[in-house]
Amino acid sequence: MRFSRTVWWGVLTVAAVFYAVPMLAMARFAFQRIPVIKLAPDNILAKWTAEPLFETFGDPDFRRAALLTILLAVATAVVTSVLLVPTMVAAHLQSPRARKLIELSAVLPFVVPAIALVVGFAGAFRDTVPFLIRNPIGLVPLYVITALPFTHRTLENGLAALDLRTLVDASRGLGAGWARTMVLVVAPNMRASIATASFLAFTVVLGEFTIASLLLKNTLPLYLAYAQGQNPQGSFALGLVLVVVSTVFVTLSNRFGRKVAT
Amino acid sequence: MAGPSKRRARHLAFVPYAAFLALFLGWPALYVFRSAFAEADAARSPMLEAVTGQFRGSFVYSLQLSFVSSLLGLVIGSTVAIALVRLQDVRGLRNIVVGYSSVAANMGGIPLAFAFLAAFGMQGLATRLLREIDIDLIGWGFRITDFWGIVLVYLYFQIPLMTLVLVPALDGLRGTWHEAAQSLGASSRQYWRMVALPILMPAILGGFLLLVANAFAAYATAFALSSGSSRLVPVQIRFFLQGDTITGKTNLGYALAAWMVIVTAALVIGFQSLSRRAERWRR
Repeated sequence: MRFSRTVWWGVLTVAAVFYAVPMLAMARFAFQRIPVIKLAPDNILAKWTAEPLFETFGDPDFRRAALLTILLAVATAVVTSVLLVPTMVAAHLQSPRARKLIELSAVLPFVVPAIALVVGFAGAFRDTVPFLIRNPIGLVPLYVITALPFTHRTLENGLAALDLRTLVDASRGLGAGWARTMVLVVAPNMRASIATASFLAFTVVLGEFTIASLLLKNTLPLYLAYAQGQNPQGSFALGLVLVVVSTVFVTLSNRFGRKVAT
Repeated sequence: MAGPSKRRARHLAFVPYAAFLALFLGWPALYVFRSAFAEADAARSPMLEAVTGQFRGSFVYSLQLSFVSSLLGLVIGSTVAIALVRLQDVRGLRNIVVGYSSVAANMGGIPLAFAFLAAFGMQGLATRLLREIDIDLIGWGFRITDFWGIVLVYLYFQIPLMTLVLVPALDGLRGTWHEAAQSLGASSRQYWRMVALPILMPAILGGFLLLVANAFAAYATAFALSSGSSRLVPVQIRFFLQGDTITGKTNLGYALAAWMVIVTAALVIGFQSLSRRAERWRR
């Protein structure tokens, strides 16, 4: 028994090392101005600096990319909620069959890999609505689709925890219309799962490369790939920042998600 | 009761969502397939050309990468999940491991490629440290941009994904089943082989398919590692269809994309039906 516990601890330790080493190496490369070759026990603490990150922050291209990414993330989260919440509420009120249908449709994006989605999108819209290809706003519907399997599951958990029928009947009985009921009664009761879904949507937008790259839109992941040649240390530092930010988002959504479940 | 007008009003609630899906998922997918099957002379249809000749190698390479990284992810990820369940009396451990697993399973793209370049590249920190103890990765021919290098990078999200799939399945194994098997005279090994494993099998196989689909669709990491020169299918598609460049072979690009959808669809359908079977034991 003692022996086997040691083995299991060993397994977890090896996994932890594997998870930590690449991130530590990225941090060292980004923030220490000593090439790996010259690294020795006596200079391991020397020449650490946050300057590469500040250089990146000062780059106007970075600012444009960051602004665009933030706008896309917010727009994706908003469109997701506005599109999904009323639909899912209606499905819950109507029948289990309608709910199942929505659930099935929400897994469909898994079937179409991002690269296939974006080339199909570009082909379909190039001659019909070229605005969506030219303007970065065209990324939003594709991001909503990409995030859909995750956001749907979160909102589904949130809805399952509500006594929706009573809420809606009470609100309607007191004379509120559908829109009022949705905005003033249902949405506030679902705020934890809407927040969770929004964090998941942010994470998707922050990490998405394929779609933005094929449509030639300069989001942060694209800036990262491009800046690697200009300012390797700065782009690695920014990469680390993105990792930290999406870790925070995923952790927040886990926390909110747990609140929903109880 | 609900008159026809009211019923119509109820269905109206689904119109925006259905239209959105049809417009931004259905139409693009349809466009891919229509273009892939467009060429009339069937002797050399793009769909056929996409899986023969020079592109056959791309599919084989992509699939090999997906299968190998998924198989290793399956073995290691399951081991981590079992370790976690065995040590579940340690407070807080589960939250940390499951929490980080959900972070790492979502990792990918450019930052992950950077992290592995910094660690296992030619001038990587881990490469250097391993050389200190006489493990010369570069001397052995290991390159982070090669097949096994990309496998190593993919493991960063494949292992935690498998852990996340398997932990709930392991939770579903009830202590009473182990006791029942023991009281009937089964050894611990017999219990695992004849009771636990058959119950876990759908979850394990389903997880495997999920991992394969996940790796098969991945694009950014390999793209960044190889500076865009990878043989992976998605990178080939980009070559034909990027931006406004006209290569005259756009249908071939769409055919490659259509095959990707077909492969992924088969994997996802398999995963769905297996995970439904795995659910049965959790009621």
